[in-house]
Amino acid sequence: MTTEELIAELSKRPAGAKPPAPMGRALALGLAAGLAVSVALFLAVLGPRPGLLGLWADPLIAAKTLMPLAAACLALTALLPSVRPGAALGAGARALWLVPALAAGLFALAFAGLAPGERLATFIGHSIQVCLPAISLLSLPLTAGIVAALRRGAPEHPARAGALAGLVAGGLAAAVYSTFCTEDSPVFYAVWYSCGIGIATGLGALAGARWLRW
Amino acid sequence: MGAERDRRWSELLRAANRGDGAAYAAFLTEVAPVIRTVVAGRGRSLGAEVEDVVQEVLIALHTKRHTWRESEPVAPWLYAIARYKTLDAARAGRRRGQMSPLDEAAEPADERLPEPGAAGDVARLLARLGGGEGGRAARIVRALGIEGRSAAEVAAREGMSEGAVRVAYHRAMAELKAGAGATEREP
Repeated sequence: MTTEELIAELSKRPAGAKPPAPMGRALALGLAAGLAVSVALFLAVLGPRPGLLGLWADPLIAAKTLMPLAAACLALTALLPSVRPGAALGAGARALWLVPALAAGLFALAFAGLAPGERLATFIGHSIQVCLPAISLLSLPLTAGIVAALRRGAPEHPARAGALAGLVAGGLAAAVYSTFCTEDSPVFYAVWYSCGIGIATGLGALAGARWLRW
Repeated sequence: MGAERDRRWSELLRAANRGDGAAYAAFLTEVAPVIRTVVAGRGRSLGAEVEDVVQEVLIALHTKRHTWRESEPVAPWLYAIARYKTLDAARAGRRRGQMSPLDEAAEPADERLPEPGAAGDVARLLARLGGGEGGRAARIVRALGIEGRSAAEVAAREGMSEGAVRVAYHRAMAELKAGAGATEREP
């Protein structure tokens, strides 16, 4: 088939028979479905700690939930641009580094405030073996929902788009998990939540490289 | 010239989105040489495949045209798609180890044609599939198995769904393998 013939063929169908629904709606659906599965899984297996609402008055405990949520929201703003050829990722992506910077700041302050003897024990905590797998696993339904929605797009860098999806998923998963976790020092959570979100981001990048190619 | 050109492309593509086939044809005809420049410039290793990649980019523009927003310029969108498809084709070329199409057909892998044999044998086997649908099965085998095209691309060209192309391909390969077994037993 020559290029001219191909053009003649394609131009018989200028607009799609049915125009595809806006990608934003597909993304919202995928995200909502993934979140529903993650939250259901969380409630079935772990569940929130007792007295959670009162504890949120403590800014360090609130930050444990709010910081991963902020990372997820910032990454979310870059998701649709990441699957639009030629689009810039935008201000949200540029502001992403603020969250790890804030986490590092909280870590340093809390670390300095601890007696030298307590530091290692607080850092290691008692729940790494729950924290990392839980955040990674809770992120998977979200990553699946987001990546499925993004397949309608056309990412110039599929792994990067997948990593952003994993970051949104990991941030939301960590925020959900934080309502179960009783380790309230940034010396613990700034490090291990970041690791969990990092694992989710890496899994997202792998998923993107595999399923977001077009 | 850039802004002027982009406004024209934008108008044509908007009209196409409203169902104007002539505007769409004009748009595709006008961007094809631009795409050819991008592909030839970025994919130096592609050689004779340049026109194939140009067609792949045109098909990608078509299937992904909902990713262009009417408020945004056309050129960056178009160039990004051309870059992606060129890189992709170059990667696929490296994976095939720069073998010529004939070498690849002679590679004794599972999904390849059964016994290498001379090119004439392959042609005769393909000719056997020619019946029924006016050689469509043969075209699909040639495109997927020998030329290494994607199922999506073949589907667009044949006006079939991707799944139907895969099914037709596997059915034809099974027939070829059965046919090759029979040929071997013949003197």
